[in-house]
Amino acid sequence: MSYFFQIVVSGIVVGSIYALAALGLVLVYKSSRVANFAHGQIIAAGAFITYYLSVSLGVPIFFSFLASMIITFFLAMSVERIFLRKLIGEPIISVIMVTIGLGSILDGLIYLTPFGSENFSFPAFLPQEPLSLGGVSISWTQLVGVIVTFILIGGLSWFFKKSTIGISMRAVSDDQFASMSVGISVPKVFGLAWALAGLSAAAAGCIIGNITGLNFDTLHAFGIIVFPVIILGGLDSILGAVVAGIIIGLIQQFSSGYLDGNFGLKGTGDVMPYIILVVVLFFKPHGLFGIHEIERV
Amino acid sequence: MKSKNFLTALLILVVMFAFTSSVYAGGKVYKLGMSLAITGPTSDAGNPYAKGTEDYFKFVNETKILGDDTIECTIRDDQYKTDVTKRNFEEYLDDGIVMYLNYSTGSTLGLKRDFEEEQIAVLPASYHAGNLDDSNYIFLPIASYSDQLVILAEYVAKNHKGGKAKVALFVHPSAFGRGPVSDVEKAVVAGLNIELVEVVEHGKDLDNTAMLKRLMSKKVQYVISQTVQSPVATMIKDSQRLGLTASSFGEAGKITFLGAHYTGGNDLIALAGTAAENYFWTTGFNITSVPGEKTTKQLALAKLFGRDEKAANSHNYAAGIMVAQVATEAIRRAKAAGLEVNKANLYKMLNGMNGANAYSPYTTSGPVTYSKTDRMGVDLLQIYSVQGGVFKAVGEALESEYMKKIK
Repeated sequence: MSYFFQIVVSGIVVGSIYALAALGLVLVYKSSRVANFAHGQIIAAGAFITYYLSVSLGVPIFFSFLASMIITFFLAMSVERIFLRKLIGEPIISVIMVTIGLGSILDGLIYLTPFGSENFSFPAFLPQEPLSLGGVSISWTQLVGVIVTFILIGGLSWFFKKSTIGISMRAVSDDQFASMSVGISVPKVFGLAWALAGLSAAAAGCIIGNITGLNFDTLHAFGIIVFPVIILGGLDSILGAVVAGIIIGLIQQFSSGYLDGNFGLKGTGDVMPYIILVVVLFFKPHGLFGIHEIERV
Repeated sequence: MKSKNFLTALLILVVMFAFTSSVYAGGKVYKLGMSLAITGPTSDAGNPYAKGTEDYFKFVNETKILGDDTIECTIRDDQYKTDVTKRNFEEYLDDGIVMYLNYSTGSTLGLKRDFEEEQIAVLPASYHAGNLDDSNYIFLPIASYSDQLVILAEYVAKNHKGGKAKVALFVHPSAFGRGPVSDVEKAVVAGLNIELVEVVEHGKDLDNTAMLKRLMSKKVQYVISQTVQSPVATMIKDSQRLGLTASSFGEAGKITFLGAHYTGGNDLIALAGTAAENYFWTTGFNITSVPGEKTTKQLALAKLFGRDEKAANSHNYAAGIMVAQVATEAIRRAKAAGLEVNKANLYKMLNGMNGANAYSPYTTSGPVTYSKTDRMGVDLLQIYSVQGGVFKAVGEALESEYMKKIK
């Protein structure tokens, strides 16, 4: 039975981290209807900034983590200001193409540093012994990852539901022109959405980097890996990202644990989430929690 | 007076021209080309590899190993993109290269026909056995991935205590990863005393708990990897967390992890930290954590050209030096034989590197031997294991017994 529960715990852990990595995509989409293809590079940048601060500059890891989130907050805000602000009102496909180009530019910049072609790992700052209960174990890194995920997601959910700026962001997402007509600054909302996406990406980068080690290819791949999460959950739903992240994490782990290597199957852990995704989209084309918009003509 | 000055100037010019033209006539330039991933995917291996090649050719030119002749090797970044590799290769051909140094499995397989058409010897950084199929011009620097996996399986079979060892393979989902699987299966059919329980193709996994638990439920005791360091690092970290990692080779009820060339080295230790302890790895290169006269030369070369410690100690730096050494040796032998240094004669020189003419560079665990029927360079593979945070040699370098049987 511990086998079953271990897989459940691992699925939830993986799913939570997927949700955190997907959060930035949701935030940008929620406010601007744009899929950000440079998200993986920002995830990697967050991890490398933390590493640089803690290892090269000797800043304690906890403060490096916080500082990295603050730096990527302003970095992503600057990216929006420099590259995307002028595209407000332009076709969405143009903005998406800019994010693809932006990803290439960030790739190039990171490749100019040792982080682009070398491997690193964070210094050990959490207990190495895992927490075990009834044959089920979870590492401190994973536990901290889950806690950070839920704190960030809880905070952002509250922000969008209760705060004036959060409500403004939702309004902009619904209708930019109507929002402008009631005095909401659409450019500021876009900037803030990117900034928050940068902040969450840094958190995701640090947690993923602590699990996999700091390898640029591995880290920036997560910007794409989590796309099924936001599509399954609904592109504009934070709750959807959490639920879908955990569903995908559980499907991966259960497929790997019970199907792979049996009945002549292998690699189902990678394939099953996509099969489930297609089935769900067949019945709910906007994802599990996506908003089904009805336009009056 | 004016005419005297003019004559003096003319004389100086004539002398200078005569001097420079005589120097030029004495020193030939041999052009080589290299295309690899200095940036982009796998650049953690490609970057130090390029540095090794660049440094060794500089060393050859500066120390006049080829007399007044020099090697001009153009090294270009292809970012692991086969179309860019092809373009680079074609441009090198236009430049008149006499030998080509390639990198990835994908591009080596993709350009195999071009190499045949151009009849140019190629040394790739990919040790995929399939590179040699239907090819006459690709020369693997060291024993293939198939040899590496089979030799690890042989090591398991010889050192496992208590019945038949249960083994799983953990491979990259590509030709690079899948290639050696069928050779391991053939070795088992040929009598290698292991039970191949499962072949796992990994994805971009954040957590391998389910896979490791599944393997444990099937009583797998050894996982042999053919991939790159990052997925191995994640797997062995998970195994450490779950308390599944063997603390010594073959510890009962635990898993011993082993892997081929690109799974190991200092990068694995950098990524996995203490979880890399007791990881078994094989390659055909000497490594600097096992000090000796040979590795001292590698470190001296890195120091000479101002490389940082990380590059200097990388086995990929050694691999980059090695292909440059082989190319240089082929050129040196062609010159010594009084032959023109061209594609055909270098191909001939490589095919003649065997028996008493085998070449022993300081970077490898055995001599480089090529012939018309054997285009795999270093046959001897050294097994290393992580002890106290560094790779240490395990016994002497070995040659795969079962690969000979199944070839």
